[in-house]
Amino acid sequence: MRDALRGTLGTAEAEVPSQVETDWRTGWPALVELGVTAFCVPEAMGGFGLQVRAAVATAMEFGGALHGSPYAGLVASAHALALSAGAEAHDLLTGILAGELVCAFGQLDPRQNAARTVDGIAGADALVLVDAGSHSLLLFSHDSQWKMDDSPYGFDVTRTCADVTLDASKGHRITDSGHALELRGLLLAADAVGAVSRTLNRTVAYAGQRHSFGRPIGGFQAVQHRLVDHAVRVRGMTLVVAEAARLLASDSPEARRFVAMAEVSVSSSATRILHDLLQLTGAIGFTWEYGLHFFERRVHQDARLAANPRAAVRALAEIEGWTDAQ
Amino acid sequence: MPSDLEAYRREVHDFIAEQGVRMRREGVRVPDNPAEEGEIRRWLRSLYEAGYLGGGWPVEWGGRPGHLPIHDLILMEELILGDAYRPLDQVMLAAHAIIEFGTDAQKLELLPSIRRGEHIWCQLFSEPDAGSDLASLRTRAEPDGDGFIVTGQKIWSTDAQWADMGMLLARTDPTVDRHAGITAFVIPMQLAHIDIRPIREITGHAEFCEVFLDGLRLGPEHVLGEVNGGWKVVTSGLASERTFVGANAIQLERLFQDLVALATAAHLPDGTAAIDHEDVQTQLADARSRVQEVKLIVRDIVDRILIDDEHPSDGPVAKLAYTEMNVALCELALQMISSSASIDPAGTEVAERWHHNFLWGRAMTISGGASEIMRGLIGRQLLGLPRA
Repeated sequence: MRDALRGTLGTAEAEVPSQVETDWRTGWPALVELGVTAFCVPEAMGGFGLQVRAAVATAMEFGGALHGSPYAGLVASAHALALSAGAEAHDLLTGILAGELVCAFGQLDPRQNAARTVDGIAGADALVLVDAGSHSLLLFSHDSQWKMDDSPYGFDVTRTCADVTLDASKGHRITDSGHALELRGLLLAADAVGAVSRTLNRTVAYAGQRHSFGRPIGGFQAVQHRLVDHAVRVRGMTLVVAEAARLLASDSPEARRFVAMAEVSVSSSATRILHDLLQLTGAIGFTWEYGLHFFERRVHQDARLAANPRAAVRALAEIEGWTDAQ
Repeated sequence: MPSDLEAYRREVHDFIAEQGVRMRREGVRVPDNPAEEGEIRRWLRSLYEAGYLGGGWPVEWGGRPGHLPIHDLILMEELILGDAYRPLDQVMLAAHAIIEFGTDAQKLELLPSIRRGEHIWCQLFSEPDAGSDLASLRTRAEPDGDGFIVTGQKIWSTDAQWADMGMLLARTDPTVDRHAGITAFVIPMQLAHIDIRPIREITGHAEFCEVFLDGLRLGPEHVLGEVNGGWKVVTSGLASERTFVGANAIQLERLFQDLVALATAAHLPDGTAAIDHEDVQTQLADARSRVQEVKLIVRDIVDRILIDDEHPSDGPVAKLAYTEMNVALCELALQMISSSASIDPAGTEVAERWHHNFLWGRAMTISGGASEIMRGLIGRQLLGLPRA
């Protein structure tokens, strides 16, 4: 499946893009044909069950490809929509699984009239918001139901994002959100790991080719040893994300803990590792055209979409029982 | 885990609970007195006799039919969980070197003594000017009749002060490539002209020794493998207990529990416990996640060992990740201790353990190939980068 994805995404070769493709909807049906939106939808609803590892693998490929879709939120939405008995939810899910409709995912503001940092809302056909207070979801099926402001979110140029204002009472309520929140957090972490992983491979290749003082810069310990440390971290982060996916797919009581750990690991280190890879690439890495900055921008946004690392750190502290005052 | 492995684990667990000799502190292996030495030797012997240790040896030398590599991992995990004295690396390496390179006479003389706990081994490898760069060693073994006369100085020889046998590396041909002129010897440590001086380390304990070899006479029966073939003897990936590396996951788990115990026992000047504070919880959450990364790396490597799909860089990756994580946890623990005004009596022992581990942890990132050497190996073998 990974090869099929890379073929469709055009990421089979090592070179990373020097510009981002903002029109992702045109190629979307071809990706949906590979099943990417159906990985966490029950088979009875036209999906593959709870194939979290496949969704994680896809998110990593999308991160590495700088893909413009709001994939994490879309998978989480499809998962939650499948749990709703309403016709509105069913129609939207059918459209998502067919590659015709796209839905954005966000968190309802406590004042019930807004949602901040909503990934992929521009051009979305529908919007799903988590209402943390009642642990339910609100579905808005028409773009006339919200107004958006994308002005605070120009930093990540690989995807769109906006703040939204709306009237929460107009939403259709879905009472069971299943694993939607854990899925979204985990897939955002996977997206960042994919981005870091691809950048690391490129930087290692560059360090082996680029000569300075008569030898490849990758032969200098100051460069080589840092690349090794990053490679070990990326291996660790990839494994934590995979383990969380495995536990989530098997409905393990440990799943929440591992999703939180995956989010903490990735969101607290990915941007720093990328920034160091840029340092190791030297001045060429500082140019817009070389493209390393796209990954930095994206990975920062991955963390921001989930309010991480803080949200995951607090969640983990609570799960571990450290917040119960002694 | 299949139920027969679970049964094996219970059996090993019960055996350790009944007979195990306690491990005093991480890295402290030299007995304090003859009584303790006797206990340790009896304990090692009983592990071999039960077949838990050395189970993977060839059956004619005491190995257990049906022994699996996963059994080694189970043993090491249970030894750690039971705080029991663990087998000595250099004894296991010596055993495998003898099995692979020894003559029949050497095997017959040396292997049963290891299994009876009669032979503790040390390694006479490093020298004052040859540590991580071992191939630059200068101790000379010069031909003399049908034997050799050895002159030189060894250092960092763990357990040499109570070892019965030593595996020595010495230069037998100074005219050829530095790797090609080295020979391995197996020597009784009681021979004349061997002077052993323990070195007191930063922990206050003396585990390492200097060993002076001044005109030591060796015969052809002391040569292990071929003359000038010593480099192959030490680098041929000898240990069959390769899955022992997986026990580092359990070790990290225990260290992390100790960190939480410390954060609970440490109190700030206002009387609150450290763990009640958000900044401490954040540090713990970061550490917990990083520990999980390393545990999964180690388990991934064990899985590869079990299906014989190990990458040459896996050993160095596991060592680097584990030993550096250990140092990071120790540093965090020391910050917790220094930031606190008092520690509950229940936490005093934990704090003392962290103080020791902090100092001892530095040995692990230096010995057996320093972290810098590991990074070089990984850079070349995994990332395909040129030699620095």
